Amino acid sequence: MKLQDVSLTRRSFLAGAVAAGVALVVPLRLPIWAGQGEAAGLSQAFIRIDTSGQVTFLLPTSEMGQGTHTGQAQILADELGADWSSIVVGMPNQPTPDYRIPFIGQMRSVGSFGIRFWHDPLRLAAAQAREMLTQAAAERLGVAPAALHAENGFIVHSGSGRRIPFGELVEDASSLPVPEEPTLRPEDQRTLSGRRVPRLDTPEKVTGKAVYAVDVEREGMLYGAVRLAPVFSADIEAFDESSVAGMPGVVAVVRVPRGAVVVADSWWQAKRAADALGITFTATDADALSTEAIDTMLREALDRPDVPVSTLRGDAEATLSTAGQVVEAEYSVPLLTHMSMEPINCTAESTEERTELWIGTQGQDVVRMTLENALQLPAERLFINTTYLGGGFGRKTHGEIALQAALASRAVNGRPVKVLWAREDDVRQGQYRQTMRCRFRAALDDAGNITGMRIRLAGPQMGREYGMDPEQMAQATGNLANFDPFSLGGLSDMRYVIPNFVVEHAVVDLPIPLCPWRSIAHSFNGFFFESFMDECASAAGRDPLEFRRRHSEGQERMLAVLDRVAEMSRWDEPAPEGVARGLAVVESYGSYVAQVVEARVDDDDINVERVHVAIDCGHAINPDQVEAQMQGSVIDALGAALRQRVTIRDGRAEQSNFHDYPLLRIGEAPAVVVSIVEIGSPLGGVGEPGVPPLAPALANALFAATQQRIRHLPLADHIQV
Amino acid sequence: MTAFTLNGRAVEVAAAPDTPLLWVIREQLKLTGTKYGCGIAQCGACTLHVDDEPVRACVFPLSAAEGRSVTTIEGLSEEGAHPVQQAWVELDVPQCGYCQSGQIMSAAALLARNPSPSDAEIDTAMAGNLCRCGTYVRIRAAIHRASEA
Repeated sequence: MKLQDVSLTRRSFLAGAVAAGVALVVPLRLPIWAGQGEAAGLSQAFIRIDTSGQVTFLLPTSEMGQGTHTGQAQILADELGADWSSIVVGMPNQPTPDYRIPFIGQMRSVGSFGIRFWHDPLRLAAAQAREMLTQAAAERLGVAPAALHAENGFIVHSGSGRRIPFGELVEDASSLPVPEEPTLRPEDQRTLSGRRVPRLDTPEKVTGKAVYAVDVEREGMLYGAVRLAPVFSADIEAFDESSVAGMPGVVAVVRVPRGAVVVADSWWQAKRAADALGITFTATDADALSTEAIDTMLREALDRPDVPVSTLRGDAEATLSTAGQVVEAEYSVPLLTHMSMEPINCTAESTEERTELWIGTQGQDVVRMTLENALQLPAERLFINTTYLGGGFGRKTHGEIALQAALASRAVNGRPVKVLWAREDDVRQGQYRQTMRCRFRAALDDAGNITGMRIRLAGPQMGREYGMDPEQMAQATGNLANFDPFSLGGLSDMRYVIPNFVVEHAVVDLPIPLCPWRSIAHSFNGFFFESFMDECASAAGRDPLEFRRRHSEGQERMLAVLDRVAEMSRWDEPAPEGVARGLAVVESYGSYVAQVVEARVDDDDINVERVHVAIDCGHAINPDQVEAQMQGSVIDALGAALRQRVTIRDGRAEQSNFHDYPLLRIGEAPAVVVSIVEIGSPLGGVGEPGVPPLAPALANALFAATQQRIRHLPLADHIQV
Repeated sequence: MTAFTLNGRAVEVAAAPDTPLLWVIREQLKLTGTKYGCGIAQCGACTLHVDDEPVRACVFPLSAAEGRSVTTIEGLSEEGAHPVQQAWVELDVPQCGYCQSGQIMSAAALLARNPSPSDAEIDTAMAGNLCRCGTYVRIRAAIHRASEA
């Protein structure tokens, strides 16, 4: 199979879909989302088989490395009985209400939804199409449909060996009614799902042919570089266009929110002029903000007298006041940035009449809303071509770059303009992972069991920025009040059996833009909670695995991944000489992941040699890609835990590029051993759940080696890494 | 005008001599497989070959390319036939893929001078190429695979 030019495919696909008769078009039935949005305009949620046998489907998941397009194609081709090489994956070029995700109400590639949300609707539509093709073939061959089966793009009559390609059947099939309740293929006839299937995008990605937004080429295109306010809440005070007027290649200087875009004949010319631009920014209340000041705010918030209870079970206070032993600890994590290898960029052709974008975005509806609000741009005049993303990690859910590009294009009469942030802009213009602080108290009984736990989290409430009302969310999720899943996910819904349990969130608003970072709240709550579980195990004098198991009664999935990772790491045997082990297990995005970190620790220097990963994500559609996501998540999370952080001074980010925000390099990458646990669980996500257990497993290994408990990330603040 | 050979073809470009080669190749010569990642030779996404040596095009001035032979990912092989590219496909190395042109160019240069590198030699040669998706485990395995080809 090959991925065609995406925008071309989309256009011809939509044109074909509107023109009647030449294709079999089966709408995706999306019962979960029915009525969620107004079904305005053309529905783009369907699969389409044309007379050449090409099978096209549009799903809303952006391909940012997680391999979802391949997984979705596997599900479709398997159920349809299609020829693998006939599948074309595309994305809708207008955010369609059909594809809005519940709770969020938007078309977005977030929450590790790519496979688990679209699996059932895709499979159903494929089964419907298969039955229609089969019925058409049965009528043509004069045999019963039961005597036929679909295979590699043909309907085959096994009795006679006669076979008809899909393409020859689509005209007849398209006049048949869509069967309401098609029969899904039994598991043993699914030949693609559950198998290692090569990624569809790999051939393009090893030859330099894959088109990311930054590679888009348009006739007459100009290039834009930005100069934006370094303090997040500042705006332009003044700028002097004449300061760059004579510079080579400069075409225009365009005012945008919080700064300017310099448009030139080449990006390098635009960048030089942007750096030289005479521009001043307004003073703000945040000009003196620092990391130290933020830390103080979080610390003080933990002692507030008036924090509402978000989650409550039993009476934790009573157990804590009468407990034989109380364990207490406080943890924190810093701001992080996303550092996608492809810096933020967008190409726009924009006039009053029509705006077309080429952008690697995870948030098509955010882009739409940003332009609707800023330019009063009606949605039907906006076309968004989603290219490959050179990484996302949550950062590419924002729309500011689309507005900058659209404004730049309008300033040059609708000519295409590609606006690209320099790496320094990408790092300093934030949208950061929250900095958070968390205090735990646990009551242990005489047998060493946790009878009660009180958790208080301090930090921002990011969900509000995404339109989530904490009171409504509390109601919807069975919590009491003040519940923000982007802050409390992984605490309020943690899976251990602890009878008396309280979670509170002391909200601290920060004048810093925030953004989901791979695994969102789990990225810090996993570290907090699983570090604290280890502290409790230690206080109780228990083995960390045994302690977790005994607090997981009835939690089959948790026990299954714990047991698997214990087996993989030979947990019941002593660790090799000089090697320390740490364990953690976290449920997130519908999957359970347990990890054991094996590290060599000498003289305050830590070297992670191997990480064992056991994941229960239900059924692994493509086990090789599940493994790839676990490998990548471990390395991603390890770099963050060891030494990454954004610090603030004078209201602005201090870091600027890879030298002061260091990713892990190849020589530091540990071996990652992955095992997939299949015990019949529902489908879970894969892109994010590998991240949360790593930091606590690492800190727990360090504790095992040194009896030193590191409670504040990154580790580099405390030891040599 | 600066004249050099690009993927076996003679080219002449008009641009300021201190323009980084990266932007000339991407914007003027329209070969976009070579990527911008940092602009300060920290990430390796822009790695290409100048006279068979890997260089970071984001800090390599156009003037320094005069008379030399430049190879980008597009010129490494016909249709991805280079053993490194083949190994990358066999092991499905890329995730987002953005850094992979640079990774492959560095790996190809390594294997050209050291046909069967050890893990340590791979780690040294590839230390200048960052991958945010964390594909390092597979990169190492794929270089070994390519070295057996």
